[in-house]
Amino acid sequence: MNKEIMLDIKQLHHEFILGKKKQQTRISVLKDISFQVKKGEVVTLVGKSGSGKSTLLNLISGFIHPTRGEIWINGSEVSTFTEKQFANFRLKHMGFIFQNFQLIPSMTAFQNIELPLILKGENENKRKQMTLDMLEKVGLKEFGDYYPSELSGGQQQRISIARALILEPPLILADEPTGSLDSETEASLLEFIQQLNEDLGITFLIITHDEVVARTGHRTIAIRDGRLVESGVSQ
Amino acid sequence: MKFRDQLRFIRQNIKKNKIRTFMTILATAMGCAFLIVLASIAYGLQESIVEDTLEQQIITQIDIYGQEDEKGNFQSLTLENIEYLESIEQVKAVTRRNQLRQMPLFAMDDYEAETAAVAAHFPSEVASGLTLREGRLPENRGEVVVGSHFIKNLAEVTDENIYDEETGEIKEGYIYQGNLVDEVLEMTVINNDDEKDSIPLKIVGVLEAPTREWMQDKNVYISDKVFSEVEKFTGTPGGELGVDPKELDSTSIETFDEVKVYADNLEAVQGIADKLDEENYMTYSVVNEMKQINMFFAIGKAGLILVGTIAIIIASIGIYNTMTMAVTERAPDIGIMKAIGANPKTIKQIFLLESSYIGIIGALIGVAVAYATSALVNIGLPLILETAFDESLPEGLQFSSIPVSLILISVGICLLVTILSGLRPAKKATEIDVLKAMRREI
Ligand SMILES: Nc1ncnc2c1ncn2[C@@H]1O[C@H](COP(=O)(O)OP(=O)(O)OP(=O)(O)O)[C@@H](O)[C@H]1O
Ligand SMILES: [Mg+2]
Repeated sequence: MNKEIMLDIKQLHHEFILGKKKQQTRISVLKDISFQVKKGEVVTLVGKSGSGKSTLLNLISGFIHPTRGEIWINGSEVSTFTEKQFANFRLKHMGFIFQNFQLIPSMTAFQNIELPLILKGENENKRKQMTLDMLEKVGLKEFGDYYPSELSGGQQQRISIARALILEPPLILADEPTGSLDSETEASLLEFIQQLNEDLGITFLIITHDEVVARTGHRTIAIRDGRLVESGVSQ
Repeated sequence: MKFRDQLRFIRQNIKKNKIRTFMTILATAMGCAFLIVLASIAYGLQESIVEDTLEQQIITQIDIYGQEDEKGNFQSLTLENIEYLESIEQVKAVTRRNQLRQMPLFAMDDYEAETAAVAAHFPSEVASGLTLREGRLPENRGEVVVGSHFIKNLAEVTDENIYDEETGEIKEGYIYQGNLVDEVLEMTVINNDDEKDSIPLKIVGVLEAPTREWMQDKNVYISDKVFSEVEKFTGTPGGELGVDPKELDSTSIETFDEVKVYADNLEAVQGIADKLDEENYMTYSVVNEMKQINMFFAIGKAGLILVGTIAIIIASIGIYNTMTMAVTERAPDIGIMKAIGANPKTIKQIFLLESSYIGIIGALIGVAVAYATSALVNIGLPLILETAFDESLPEGLQFSSIPVSLILISVGICLLVTILSGLRPAKKATEIDVLKAMRREI
């Protein structure tokens, strides 16, 4: 196994099963997907709506199980993991950024960022320090006590990035992270992602519709009708 | 995730739904209190009755009336039986007494008493705990000891009415006031032909009063030799009058009317009683009676606990409902937590902890309420009954008693039921689909 590889997808197939037992129909969403992402790379994933981008990301995240194929992350074959194993693996190795942020509305910005530390079982003093540092890093030092509903979209997305970063995972998966943001906020977010990639060497896999976003990555992968069609290096 | 953080989580969750949680806790507390109070009545009455019985009996004592032979016929106890009884392990003493079957007249100078004469075996009496107030134990044929209340019966010989009209007892002024020890007592018995026989006896000691205040010992304890002399004089067993000696079979063996076995300690009584039962001895001991009373109450308690448990089960439906709603409400949050990397086990624990929390707080409040209610019942119910029926209740009667074991049983049942009722909702929480939850589809 190549130590330089962060993500290795091998002949991945995925079918969704619709309907009850007798009238089942299978729809094949991903067909024979294979690609690799090196450590420290920022890879963007593009494709038409319904082409299977989110499905691919959900498979890598372990939220759904593949019909066939292998998914290697940081040297582990994760598609055979149990739910519990995957939960622990996610906590250690992966961060998530979602289009609609997925912050817990009843928790403050501070508590949302702190959550992964709590799940990991970190002690309170260390937690507090790390969370405050992270709030500062995403430029929201004064907003720790705000609830998500009291923050703008861009601020919420930065909180969710802070939450994804707090345990310093080697891989961050993002499904249209800028989809809900205006172009100015989008630009500052992309800058932030690039900075994280350069400073901490974090690997990113970013789904996007946006040309601008796609161009920020080192490389772009495109999907059409569930198949990988091209894999190009951006300029 | 640390336990402390889990606690913090559930505190936050509960805060969000104070009223709903409070109502659920209230229902649990009421169920728990209902169970405890209900069962406490059985405990209370049992305690009162058992205490009452114990107060009147010597606990380590087993009375033996006789033995059944193979055909089920009654057999009086013989010396052979006594020797066997004495050989049983953990038997401290076997006392045997024979009461004279006629009331002799005892005369001392100008005083007389008509009272029972009892032949006793003194070494075993002493071993069973009999003690003297003054004097010593008899050593010779003609020596006797008298019971503590014998003197109360020893009244002046006079034509006047010596009895107090109200109490029926001999008036103080007529009772013998002097010393008894070393005095000579003339015992007079009669036979079927109305002939009299006088036997002079010497009092050498007076027994200690019985431990129970209301018991009176007026007996004169004679030696078995004197007892036999009386039997010889009347020609009947025990000196009984009104039976024809010729009709009795002459193979008279020495038997005992009143045999008591004393165990070393309370724990040994049951074992000895069981052994004697097996060997067809006819016995009575407080333990026998306790067994029956306790059996009766055990059934009663089990029934009441069952009824109380149903109350808790009804309350647990509330917990189930509360927890199911909590899981549904928090499904999006749970989905997010799972997406980030929360272990399903952790999520289950949080919800189980929450239902246990409701159970524990409910049980604690229930226990407090039960104690208060129990105290109220013990004070209030006698008052109500006494005014309603105009009759005073026996002293020390307790309607409701809450022993620690009852608290443990009730709290145990309460916790078990609440945890069980929280199990399914907690399981449901772990099965929440991350993607559905994040799409707010649940
Ligand atoms: N849970 C599901 N059950 C059945 N079919 C599904 C499910 N999720 C997705 N699909 C189907 O799989 C295909 C790919 O969906 P997916 O969400 O991966 O597309 P996408 O590339 O992310 O599109 P978009 O850019 O609009 O987000 C679609 O045709 C969709 O209908
Ligand atoms: Mg999508």
